[in-house]
Amino acid sequence: MTVPFRFTRRAAAALVGAALIAPGAQAAELGATEDPIRLALVEWTGQHLTTRIIGSTLEEMGYDVEYVSVGYLVSGAAAADGDVHATLEVWDNNLGDLFPQLLEEGRLENLGDVGLDAGEGWMYPSHVAEMCPGLPSWEAVQDCAQEFATAETFPQGRFLSYPADWSNRSEVLIEGEDLNYKAVPSGSEGALVAELKAAAETDSPLLMMFWAPHWVLSEVDVEWVDMPQEIREEYSITKPGVFKAVWPGLKDKWPAAYEVIAAAKITNEIQEPLMARIDRDGEDTEAVVAEWMAANEDVWRPWIETATN
Amino acid sequence: MRAALASRDGRLWLGVGAFCLLCFLLAPRVVWIGEYPDALVIPFASWITTGMSAFVDSFRWLFRALAALVDVPLVGVRTALQATPWLVVMVLACALAWRARGPGLALLTACALGYMVVTGYWVQSMNTLALVVVSVPLSVAVGFGMGVAAAYSERVNRIVQPTLDFMQTIPAFAYLIPILFLFGFGPAVGLIASAIYAAPPMVRNTILGLRSVPAGVRESGVMSGCTPRQGFWQVEVPTALPQIMVGVNQTTMAALSMVIIAAIIGGFDDIGWEVLSTMRKAQFGQSLLAGLVIALLAIVLDRISFGLARNRFAGETPDERAARRQRTWATAVALALGALLLAMLFPVFDDYPRDLRVYPAGQLNEAVNWFLRHYSGAMDALKNTVLFFGMLPFRIGLNQAVSPFTWGFALEPWMTAAYGVAAAALFLWLLWRGRAGGALAVALVAVLLWWGTTGLPWPVVIAAATALGFQTGGLRTAGFVAASLIFVLVNGLWEPLMLSVYLCGIAVAISFAIGGALGVWAAHNDGVSAFLRPINDTLQTMPQFVLLIPALMLFKVGEFTALLAIISYAIVPPVRYVEHALRNLPQGTVEAARQMGCTPWQILTQVKLPLALPGIMLGLNQTIMYALSMLVIAALVGTQGLGQQVYLALSQADMGMGVVTGLSMALLAMTADRILQAASRRHQEKLAVGTAAPA
Repeated sequence: MTVPFRFTRRAAAALVGAALIAPGAQAAELGATEDPIRLALVEWTGQHLTTRIIGSTLEEMGYDVEYVSVGYLVSGAAAADGDVHATLEVWDNNLGDLFPQLLEEGRLENLGDVGLDAGEGWMYPSHVAEMCPGLPSWEAVQDCAQEFATAETFPQGRFLSYPADWSNRSEVLIEGEDLNYKAVPSGSEGALVAELKAAAETDSPLLMMFWAPHWVLSEVDVEWVDMPQEIREEYSITKPGVFKAVWPGLKDKWPAAYEVIAAAKITNEIQEPLMARIDRDGEDTEAVVAEWMAANEDVWRPWIETATN
Repeated sequence: MRAALASRDGRLWLGVGAFCLLCFLLAPRVVWIGEYPDALVIPFASWITTGMSAFVDSFRWLFRALAALVDVPLVGVRTALQATPWLVVMVLACALAWRARGPGLALLTACALGYMVVTGYWVQSMNTLALVVVSVPLSVAVGFGMGVAAAYSERVNRIVQPTLDFMQTIPAFAYLIPILFLFGFGPAVGLIASAIYAAPPMVRNTILGLRSVPAGVRESGVMSGCTPRQGFWQVEVPTALPQIMVGVNQTTMAALSMVIIAAIIGGFDDIGWEVLSTMRKAQFGQSLLAGLVIALLAIVLDRISFGLARNRFAGETPDERAARRQRTWATAVALALGALLLAMLFPVFDDYPRDLRVYPAGQLNEAVNWFLRHYSGAMDALKNTVLFFGMLPFRIGLNQAVSPFTWGFALEPWMTAAYGVAAAALFLWLLWRGRAGGALAVALVAVLLWWGTTGLPWPVVIAAATALGFQTGGLRTAGFVAASLIFVLVNGLWEPLMLSVYLCGIAVAISFAIGGALGVWAAHNDGVSAFLRPINDTLQTMPQFVLLIPALMLFKVGEFTALLAIISYAIVPPVRYVEHALRNLPQGTVEAARQMGCTPWQILTQVKLPLALPGIMLGLNQTIMYALSMLVIAALVGTQGLGQQVYLALSQADMGMGVVTGLSMALLAMTADRILQAASRRHQEKLAVGTAAPA
């Protein structure tokens, strides 16, 4: 990421000036630095990276940051009550009803996109292309249903869809387009991942709904089905949005932190290589983030500058 | 035969049979018989949501204060455990274990804690320990109090029993949202959920223990001049102690099994959180290593509490006791100081470095993959066989399960006729032989197998279950059964209910058959008993999520995987309870039977098992409860029953729906339990009559 030179210099000058001349003025801008800002760490690695990078940036500014491990859906309720102050990677394809409800009631504030280029669709482990050479075309999916048939779904093909409590869009699509598949709801993310790993290991057929970026995609080679745009739109299998949700009191208590969180953008290019190092190579998240922070000041420094300018 | 038909039960079942026949005939024509109409669903769920919201809004402050109160000991214990170097904690734990049972247990404790250190899970383990150390005494105290009250007052007992059933069977997921809103986010929520879930075994075992104190023992207390209070603490409680300790053991296990549920809320960085995160990534090795920590904690806590309760120094004089205590304390303090010194000199004893971690997760994953590559075909064949011949007939009935793809042939009309004739012939033959109960069982199973749990029209199920309730327990049981099923029906949860009945029914049958047999074996063989105990402890406390991962990889998302998961958990209570019941029989009766020349088999089937029936029935009750509580976990591998409904409610933050679904699961458990308990009581009465007659 490149930053206009003038902008950087002016911001830096402002920072230095504020620090030298009027520490009181800057403290007011930072807000209540004596109280810790609590950030939610939910179940997946990508979110840990997003949160820890933004959190480390806040620490650079002089904030005290605490990380709290909390369930993803619960993190919304916790942030609404101010028990945590931000949950920084909320996926709108898996929201439940609680997040929208809290956002609508104004008990939670949406601080804009995380910056991830997320995708969602039907996919298969690469070896499946040998069983159905027409893939990834949409027609091939329809023609190859037999290749995916199992004992439970025979004579239809087996399609592994999202857990029933996430969404039933694939079920609706299969029914609406009259595809010769039977959707099997997977029950949990772990189940989706376990099946994908097992299929790759045993070269068995698998067609499933999934999303990216996801760490398992650095472990298993997959390809995405070319789903026609009009079908994507009709069944809303579109790009998921990923946003940052914060406690509404954040703006008044820590104004500068509020601005930094709003400005921060975590892209796939940042997340994916770090995710692979943690989940595949077993490195420690904190160490990986610290190393990244040291090497990428040009990425995060501008967030601070936008905020304090 | 005519007598059987003319009896009260005979007329009842004739009526039920005629009613069911009518339903079957009408079902194809009248839609609402086959499927309960959506328009008649009563919106209890939304009423509950409204009511609860109002309640939460007005009483939130009270519960928040309670949460803050519980937080104090929790944070205290946690901070203390965190601040202390691991070597010191380990030395103190080993000293306690030595005091409780001797060097063997101390060694086991050292190994268990050492495992937590070298795998790098020390911090998380201590956080979990803090949670358990606070919640178990809470559950034990509340449970003991409730148990004592219920043991001495039939009126209290009548309220306590259903409350226990609710506490144990309403899945924690269902009330997680309400208590989250009430208590606020934080570890106190997990603590409270775990205390609710863990108390019932303590209550049940306290009641059973106190009620089984022989009248003679109680009288001897009175004769020797005990006040009621002395009689209670010095005669009855010690006599009931073995049973009460089973309760403490089970409460500890239950609290540890809730660790994982508490982690869903999070906020504590405990080992449950670790398991949950690795489960989400389907990392078997990692989640097994983390899950083992919970199992090891359970085993160590259980052995130490057992040892302390048994008090191996019971025989010593007061002087000896004082001397020994002094020695114990001196040694413990000296060791702890030594450990502290070591920790200060060598930081490795304070904070174990990450570089020295032994963490064979990769190897474990590779082992699973190896197995997968070599045996996935065989496992697939196994799954399909069980599915086609065992599970499908129960779910959709033989009339749909038999097809060329599954059984290798299509169902011809003559087969249908043959099935009907065979069932009718067996039914009539049994009736003619005067075995009305057997005949009834044949009729019910034949109908069930033909149509499957999901194929039966709802009026048929309700009528048959109510009649069964009436026959075993009279009007009261019948009323309860009918009311429960109708509650589920009008809430629009009939279909998920029958799916759950099907899955749990099969799981309970298999678990009880295998577990019961193992329990009998363990009761007669100390080696088997010692071998099974750590396995049981592990199965019961190792988060089920862990076992789901390899099961998923081998058997894919679906009901078979769910069945395996349920069985792996529900098989433990029959083993434990059957063994315990058989081992604690009055020795005189068994000895008398032996002297009369009974063979071991006769002693088992005609003396021991009938005498042990109350304990065995408690085991069956717990098997059903455990199976139902696993439904929620089973939903994680894609089952469609009530368990899935709970997640739907959770994801929608729908308090009312969560509660209604949870209640439905509890009512299902209680219906099964009431019918079984009534049947057992009837059987016992018959036995009592049988033994009384010759005298």
